[in-house]
Amino acid sequence: MHAKLPLRWTIFGCCGLIVTLTTGCASWIELKATADSSQEPNVRAIARNEQVPLVMDSISNTRNGSPQNLSLETEQRLLGTLREIGLFSHLGGIDSAEPPAGEKFIRARLLFDEDIDQHAGDKAWKSIVIGASMFILTPFIPLDYDYAAHVTLELERWDGQIKRYESQSAGTAHYQLFSTTPLMIDELKGHVTESCLTALMQQMVHDTTFYTASSAPILDRPIHSVSVKSKRSKLTPVPISTSSGK
Amino acid sequence: MQSQALAVILLATITLCAPIPISYAGENAPRPTIGTQEIGLSAGYLLPDCLRAKCKTKQSGPAFMPSWMMTMTDPIGDSWYQGQFSLGAEAVYIEFQEPYLTHGVGFTPKIKYTFVAQDRIRPYAEFAGGPFWTDLGGKIPEQHSQFNFILTAGLGISYFLTEQAALNVGYRFQHISNAGTSHPNVGLNSSLPFAGFSFYF
Repeated sequence: MHAKLPLRWTIFGCCGLIVTLTTGCASWIELKATADSSQEPNVRAIARNEQVPLVMDSISNTRNGSPQNLSLETEQRLLGTLREIGLFSHLGGIDSAEPPAGEKFIRARLLFDEDIDQHAGDKAWKSIVIGASMFILTPFIPLDYDYAAHVTLELERWDGQIKRYESQSAGTAHYQLFSTTPLMIDELKGHVTESCLTALMQQMVHDTTFYTASSAPILDRPIHSVSVKSKRSKLTPVPISTSSGK
Repeated sequence: MQSQALAVILLATITLCAPIPISYAGENAPRPTIGTQEIGLSAGYLLPDCLRAKCKTKQSGPAFMPSWMMTMTDPIGDSWYQGQFSLGAEAVYIEFQEPYLTHGVGFTPKIKYTFVAQDRIRPYAEFAGGPFWTDLGGKIPEQHSQFNFILTAGLGISYFLTEQAALNVGYRFQHISNAGTSHPNVGLNSSLPFAGFSFYF
């Protein structure tokens, strides 16, 4: 009787450990579907002699509203996606030189706005509960990490005309303590970014003709129209009285 | 005796950390992200800290604490208190040299908040608690039970030698008692200055 008791507890303990380690390692990513990111963009390659180069002019990256350092990875991903749709003859990064004046090319400006909610307070409390339970509650306490991106791509044609494209996507990583890895967060960010870029490219391919070399003539001096609103002065006449002193 | 033990611990820490190349200067600050794991080993010397008149035992001896931690959050906050939460576990072994040569072994889940506003020097606060077995129980008037609990609260500083290796020094307050599971339950309080190192991966 006494010999069976430790054996029973050993079996219970082993089962508990196996359940904790297997279910405590689960993770999954939930991507909130956006309306226009469900399908791959149609590749509308245009004739080679009609293609013009695209050069990155600026990349702005903000995270939860505060400016961040320039992300070369984001630039590379954007250029890679642009390469896939085959609208441009050459893709230049932010460091590459602009084509000489008098040559047709597209200037691109990217604004990448990230919104991260890592549920830090929630995690602190959950950590205390998990620790206090000696990790037994690990399988029953999921942890979350929310990531959303809003991407704005502005393309300026050689004649000064600008097209602006916007897309946004969001996702959540649900995971248990033992499956927490930096890779999982990178994976979530990768999925969301991909979704945003796909949506952007879908919008862009609808404007294929806008980017062809024959779509607009090159201007020697690009027209910059400046509207100036004149402020009408409302002066009230002041009666002037003159008096002859003498 | 105590000073000898401290010297041995310090020497062991320096010897173990000597192969770590200090190639950090001028590089970016280490940025442990969510999921970054930390394994570490700390050692210190336990000193009695009697808070009550009933406390008669002056327990002392070296303590060794291997640990594992998981970074739970990216840096939160944007001021001096900017930091990261970590959750993990620590094993603790204490060799009580006074009042009797006895041993103690424990396992404690641990939560840590590391202040990351500084680049290489990162203060932290930690809290741990869990079961603790010691054969000192039964030999002293404060504790008759060998099964106890150990609670630890501490402050420390990590100095990052590289992006993945850090030296730690700090102070811990430890409380050992049986949580009322047997009588008497006076509790043993100790101070534990410690030093150690951590690897991040």
